[in-house]
Amino acid sequence: MAIVIILGAILLIAIFLYNSIVSKKNQIDNAYSAIDVMLKKRFDLIPNLVEVVKQYTEYEQTTLNKIVELRTKASSGNLNDTERNDVDQQLSGQIKSLMVNIENYPDLKANNSYVNLQRTWTESEEQIAAARRSFNASVTNYNDAIMTFPGNVFASMFSFQKATVLASSDEERKSISAKELFQ
Amino acid sequence: MLSEDFLNKASVQNVLAEMEITRKEIAKKQVISSILIIAAVAIGIIGYFLQTNIAVYIVTALSFFIASLIIYSSITGKNDDYKRDFKEKIIAQVLKQYDESIAIKPGIGLAENEFTNTQLFSKEPDRYHSEDLITGRIDKTSFYFGEVHAEYKTSTGKSTHWHDIFKGIIFVADFNKHFNGGTVVRANMLFSSNSSWFENVEVVKLENVAFEDKFTTYSNDQVEARYILTPALMERILSLNSISEDTISLSFYNSRVYIAFPIDRNCFEPPVFETLQNAKLLEDDINVLDAMMSIIHELDLNTRIWTKD
Repeated sequence: MAIVIILGAILLIAIFLYNSIVSKKNQIDNAYSAIDVMLKKRFDLIPNLVEVVKQYTEYEQTTLNKIVELRTKASSGNLNDTERNDVDQQLSGQIKSLMVNIENYPDLKANNSYVNLQRTWTESEEQIAAARRSFNASVTNYNDAIMTFPGNVFASMFSFQKATVLASSDEERKSISAKELFQ
Repeated sequence: MLSEDFLNKASVQNVLAEMEITRKEIAKKQVISSILIIAAVAIGIIGYFLQTNIAVYIVTALSFFIASLIIYSSITGKNDDYKRDFKEKIIAQVLKQYDESIAIKPGIGLAENEFTNTQLFSKEPDRYHSEDLITGRIDKTSFYFGEVHAEYKTSTGKSTHWHDIFKGIIFVADFNKHFNGGTVVRANMLFSSNSSWFENVEVVKLENVAFEDKFTTYSNDQVEARYILTPALMERILSLNSISEDTISLSFYNSRVYIAFPIDRNCFEPPVFETLQNAKLLEDDINVLDAMMSIIHELDLNTRIWTKD
């Protein structure tokens, strides 16, 4: 009789643990799609930005073309995760240097549409950063669950794999020198 | 802000001199009233033990008691005026030194439903009092703060005990980012109850270890909580916390940030039994005001580079 109760208790704990690990894994997917949503919001700003800049100057053509090209590539939908991340970071970099260059055009700098776009862009970047942090927190939460006892017992049984956090690329880690940006 | 500089102004000295006369009168009458009450009680007790001529003792005791009440009620009006004068004439001038826009409304405080809606604390108050609302604007950020005393009661059989939920100042400022839901940062306590009426509230685990040591963050949107609580803001909150006597709490709600500073005493009250003409008169109050006025700068609320103006 006692054995049945003990076995029953163990079974219940097992079910609880398994469900908990699965729900943490699903939370990672959820957090990943939250990043996607923010990235899409940022993408949608780009056409307007390009239009406004075009109206004021012919000097940034090369950068603008590169930006449009990257955006088309990103929204084509047939990239894998690493490629997508890569394109996304290149895009970020191009827009950043564009905005620095726009400091040279006082009319454009003061233009209301541009100022609004710039503020929305900054907000968008911060929201993406927040979504990435949230994703990393979900990953850490899941990894904690499958690497600590008793979760690790289940992990090996059902082959739950450790997930990876989003890290900056080497490109992003390099210190930016203002001199390079203004060349 | 130096209290000596302010107190040395001629206009301030004049007001204080006038108020000092009122204060002495109030103090004298309060002392007389208290002595009469003690005498009344003493006479009553003596009469009770002596058991002879009880009627005489009772009548004397009662008349002392009534005299005391009369004297006391004659000064309550004056006392209220005196306190209000102190706030409207002295404290109001102190506030103008920080910024012309800052004003004090002694009789008004933070509304109780606003207090409960912020979720700063998990218990709903059974008794609530708020006063001394100070409002103003520094650069792009408008703010207000007031004293709040919120309590809850527990009853064991026939007796009720009152416990403090919060006593101190709650500071409210326009926050520099747009957000939709609610995020609350509460001080870590041994047994913290997470009862609140946001829907779908979750604990948000943040990356700053020192921050997580002191606070637990709850929110109904994990991403939005991190959008608000950037690593920079977490550091600023920690430095703000170090100037407070006790751990602060914050709530990001309805486009504003609410910060609760626990303070044990009743601020902005004039002394009754000590002189007004004292260099240290405003020291404690100015320390509190200095702290409040520094918040907007501490939390960098005037940086408006996102879509919120």
